[in-house]
Amino acid sequence: MKTAFSRIASASILVSAVSFATSSAIAAGGHSGMMGEVGQPGDPSKVTRTIQIEMFDNYYEPENVSIKEGETVKFVIKNSGEFVHEFNIGTAAMHADHQSEMMMMMEHGVLLSDRIDWDAAKAMQQSMGHGMHDDANSALLEPGQEAEIVWQFPEHAELEFACNVPGHYDSGMMGQIKLSH
Amino acid sequence: MIKRTLIAAAFTLAGVTAASAEPLIWGVDVEKFEYRLGEQNGNAYAWDFDALVGTDEMKFVWRSEAEYATDERSFEVLDNQARVQIPVSTFFDGVVGVLASTPKGPDRFYGVLGLHGLAKQWFEVDMDLYVSNKPFARAEIDYEGLITNRVTLTPSWEVTLPLKDDPVIGLGAGGIKSEIGLRLSYDLVDRLLSPYVGVHYESTYGDTARYRSEDGKSRDATYLVTGLKMLF
Amino acid sequence: MKLTRLVPVIVIGIGLLPPMTAVQAETYNLTVDQVTIDTGDFTRTGIGYNGTSPGPVLRFKEGEDVTINVTNNLSSSTSIHWHGLILPFEQDGVPGISYTGIEPGETFTYRFPIVQSGTYWFHSHSGFQEPDGAYGAIVIEPKGREPFRFDREYVVQLTDAHPHSGSRVMRNLKMMPDYYNRQQRTFMDFLSDVDSKGLEPTLSDRADWGDMRMMPTDIEDLQGVTPLINGMGPTANWTGLFEPGERIRLRFINSSAMTYFDIRIPGLQMTIVQSDGNNVQPVKVDEFRIAVAETYDVIVQPKEAKAFTLFAESMSRSAFARGTLAPAEGMTAEVPMLREPPLLTMADMGMAHEGMDHGAMAMDNGAMNHGTMGQSGMPMGEHVMQDGKMMSGMDHNSMGQGMSSTNAHVMPDGSSMEGMDHSAHGGMAVDTADPFYAPGSGLTPTAYNDGKFLSYADLKAQKPLYPDREATREIELRLTGNMERYIWSINGVKYADADPIVLQYGERVRFKFVNETMMAHPMHLHGMWSILDNGNGKFDPVKHVISVAPGTTVYTETEVDAPGQWAFHCHLSYHADSGMFRKVVVEGGPNQQAAASGNDILAGGVQ
Repeated sequence: MKTAFSRIASASILVSAVSFATSSAIAAGGHSGMMGEVGQPGDPSKVTRTIQIEMFDNYYEPENVSIKEGETVKFVIKNSGEFVHEFNIGTAAMHADHQSEMMMMMEHGVLLSDRIDWDAAKAMQQSMGHGMHDDANSALLEPGQEAEIVWQFPEHAELEFACNVPGHYDSGMMGQIKLSH
Repeated sequence: MIKRTLIAAAFTLAGVTAASAEPLIWGVDVEKFEYRLGEQNGNAYAWDFDALVGTDEMKFVWRSEAEYATDERSFEVLDNQARVQIPVSTFFDGVVGVLASTPKGPDRFYGVLGLHGLAKQWFEVDMDLYVSNKPFARAEIDYEGLITNRVTLTPSWEVTLPLKDDPVIGLGAGGIKSEIGLRLSYDLVDRLLSPYVGVHYESTYGDTARYRSEDGKSRDATYLVTGLKMLF
Repeated sequence: MKLTRLVPVIVIGIGLLPPMTAVQAETYNLTVDQVTIDTGDFTRTGIGYNGTSPGPVLRFKEGEDVTINVTNNLSSSTSIHWHGLILPFEQDGVPGISYTGIEPGETFTYRFPIVQSGTYWFHSHSGFQEPDGAYGAIVIEPKGREPFRFDREYVVQLTDAHPHSGSRVMRNLKMMPDYYNRQQRTFMDFLSDVDSKGLEPTLSDRADWGDMRMMPTDIEDLQGVTPLINGMGPTANWTGLFEPGERIRLRFINSSAMTYFDIRIPGLQMTIVQSDGNNVQPVKVDEFRIAVAETYDVIVQPKEAKAFTLFAESMSRSAFARGTLAPAEGMTAEVPMLREPPLLTMADMGMAHEGMDHGAMAMDNGAMNHGTMGQSGMPMGEHVMQDGKMMSGMDHNSMGQGMSSTNAHVMPDGSSMEGMDHSAHGGMAVDTADPFYAPGSGLTPTAYNDGKFLSYADLKAQKPLYPDREATREIELRLTGNMERYIWSINGVKYADADPIVLQYGERVRFKFVNETMMAHPMHLHGMWSILDNGNGKFDPVKHVISVAPGTTVYTETEVDAPGQWAFHCHLSYHADSGMFRKVVVEGGPNQQAAASGNDILAGGVQ
C-alpha cells in the first residue's frame, strides 16, 4: 500500500489554495487563526510517543486519547472504513467552523461518501478561489489510506480530535484529548 | 358487479372483516328537515333526505321528500323513491328507480331515470325523468358556499316540468314549478348536526299555476325556514 | 448506553471460524385488548396491546429467534403485522395474504428469526384496528456496534388519535370526502385574495380549481385528530430526560393512520442516522418530514441544562404533537404556534409531469459521477501536511481575530463575500429545491428557521444491503384515485378488482411510481426492501416506506429475495382500505412449496 507520504507531492498540486490561504481567515482547514492555542506542528525528532488512530464508519478507535502537556506526539492514522474520514485536532469551535466548509465541499461534489473528487476540487478552486488544502493539524483520508501527524500540544487547551465530514462529528465521530501533567 | 355488491354487503352485515374486504357504505344525508313559516299558503313542515347503502359500484338509495301543511293537517308533498345509483363517469351516477307519490289526493307511481353527481364548479346536480303516462322532469342544483369552514350558505334551485297534463294533482303540461332556497347553516357537531335558517320561495307557471289558483292557493309563496341539516 | 467495541477479526481459514454459539430464543406474550385512550382532548375506547395503546416496546436482538404469542381478547378477528421486518411470509400478519388472522379467544404463535437491527413497529392489519390504537414499537439491538454514539435513547411514537372509530371515519369519507377538512377555502379567503391579488386572478384561480372539482386544501383527509407522542397528548407532554452534553437517540416512528408530520426541536439540530431501520450516512438537519409508517432515528446533543420542545406539526398544520426534552421532569419550553397551512398548486395536480422524472435525474447524476472518476493514475492526495508544507497553517496566525468568522468566503483578491449564494457560481450550481416534490409544489417543506430541511435526496445508505446492479425489469404503478367517491387505486384499478403483481424470485424489479393524485402516498412493500433511487447510486437508501409526493414520479428497486405472497399498499389507512393496495406474489425461490400453499389461503378469501 502506498503510504501517505508518497502521495503528498501529488496532493500538493491540488493545494494551490496555499498561496491565497495565507490571506484567508478560514480556508478549508478550520484553524481560524488560532493555531497557537491548540499547539503546533511538532519536530519529528522530539516525538516522545506514537499513538495509533484507526478510523471506522463512523467512529475512532480509540475513542479518546490522553496527552501530557506540551508533549510532541506522532499520530499514525489509518482509515479502515469505507468512507472518507478526517482526523483533525482542534477546539470544538474550530471543528464547528470547519464543518461548514466541509459541507460546502460536499455540496460541490468534492467530498463524496467514499472518495474525494479531485476534478471537482479543482473546479471549485477555480470558480470560488476556495479549495482543498493541507493543514498541519488534520488528515483527510480516503478509505484504506494512512497518514501521520506530528503535533506538539500546548500547556492548556480544551481539545478534541474530530471528523468534520458532514454529519460525522454530530453522530459521535469525535474524541476528547485529555491534557494532563 | 351487482353480485359482488350483494356479496360484500352480506359479508359486511355478517361482521366479516378481512384486511381487504371493503366496508359497506351507508349513511343518511338529511338536506332539509325544517319548519316553514308562510304568509300566503300557511305553515308547513318539510323534509328531504337520502338514506343510502351500498358499495362504490352500486348504491341503493331511499329518497324521501315531503311537505306537511300544518293548517290542513295533510301532506302537500309526499314522495318516496327507491333508487339504484351506478357510476357512469368520474363525477356522475346513473339512476334508475321508482317513485311513489302519495300526498293527499290521488297517488301516483313513476319509473325514474336520472343522473346524480357533481358538476364543474362544485354544483351538486340531480336530473331525473319520471316516467308514467303522465311524465314529468325535475332538475335540482345545490351549491354549498362556505362563508367560513363552519358557516355555509346553500342556494338551491329545483325545477319541475310536467310533460303532460295531470290536473287531478295540479300539474299542467309545460307549467313549471320552481323552488328556490337560500339556507345559512352552522356545523354544530361535526357535520352531524347543522342547524340553519333561510328562505324558501315556490312559484308556479302556466297551467300548473292556473290549477293552483283554482284550488284557492296563490301561484307563489315565500317561506322563512328554520331547520336542521344532518349527515350520519 | 455502553457500546461494545467492534473487534476486527481476521479469519485465516474457514476451519478457524469460531463454532456457532447457540441462537438465543426469546418468548414474548402480547394480548390484544380493548383499551381506553385519553388524549386530553377526548376519551374513547380503542384497541391496544397488553392493556395499553401504544403497546409495549418490543426489544429484540439481531440474530435471535423470537416466539411471540398473541392472544386475541377482542370480539372480532385481529392480526399483527411486524412492520419492516424481514421474515417468512406466513409470519407477516396480513389476513387474507399471510394467513387467516387471529380469531377471538385464539392465541396465535409467531416464530421468526431476527435478521436485522434498528427501529420498527408493529400494528394490526385487520379492519381499522390500527387507527383505533393497535400499534407498538420494535427496537432491535444490532450484533455489532452502531456507526454512531449515544448516551440514552427514547422511542418517539407519533400517532393521530381521532374521536371517531376508524370504521366511522371511513364511512364518513365515503359519504362526503371532505367531511373532515376544516381548512377549505371560504368566501372570507376569497375576499382576502381579491384584496391581495385582484378580482380577476382570484376568480380565474377559483374557476381553475372548480373546473377540476379539486381543492388546493386537500392535503389531509382526516383532520380533527389529536396527535400523540407515545400515547400522550400535547397537554400530557411526554418528556424525555437528559444530562447536558449527552447524545440522545430519538427513534421517531409515525404510526398515524393518515398524518404526515414535520418535526423539529427548536434550539437543537438533529442528526439523522437511520431511516426505516437502516442506518444512513449522518445528515444534520433543522427539521424533517416523516411520512406515515416511516421511522427516522436522530441524534441530538443538548448542551445546556434547559428544556427543549419537541414539536411535530401535521403537514397541513391542522394539529401538532408536542413533547419535551429536559434535564428534569416538569420543565417546559415555549410551544411554537402552528404555521400557515400550505396550499396545493397546479404543479401538485401533475400539470408538469415531464419535468420531474427522478429516474432521469438519478441517471444523469450517475453518469456525471462516473465521468469525473478520473483515471487510476489520478493524484489521490492526502490532507496531511508535512514539515515544510505546513506553513500555511502557521501563517493563519497572523490573521486578525476579526477575520475568523465563519461563512465569510475570502476571495483571492482579499474581498469578502458574506452569505454568498453558491448557486450563483456557474457550473457549480447547487440546487436547493427538493427534487422529491413537483417544481412549484405547495407541499415542498421549508425549515422553521430557514435552515436545513431533510430531503429524500439527502438519504444515503450507511452500509448498502445489496450490491448495486441493473434492474431486470420495470413495473409502472400509477397511483390513482377518485377523490369525490373516495376510491383509491393503482393503475386505475382498486384492490378488489385487481390481479396480484407477480414477481420472480431472484430478479431486481424497478418500480416506477407515478402519482396522478393530489395527495402524497406512503407506499409500503411488505417482506422485501425498497431501495429508493435518489441518485446516490450504490448508496441509494434502503427503506420500507416510500412517500410519493403529488405530481411526481419516483423509482424504487427491490431485490426479490423473499418467496411467498405479500401486501403492497399505501399506508394511509383509508387509502389502503378503499383500494390502493395490491397483493404481490413471488414465484420460485427456495420456499416455493410454502408459497403455493399460501395461495390456497386466498382462494377462500372474500372475492
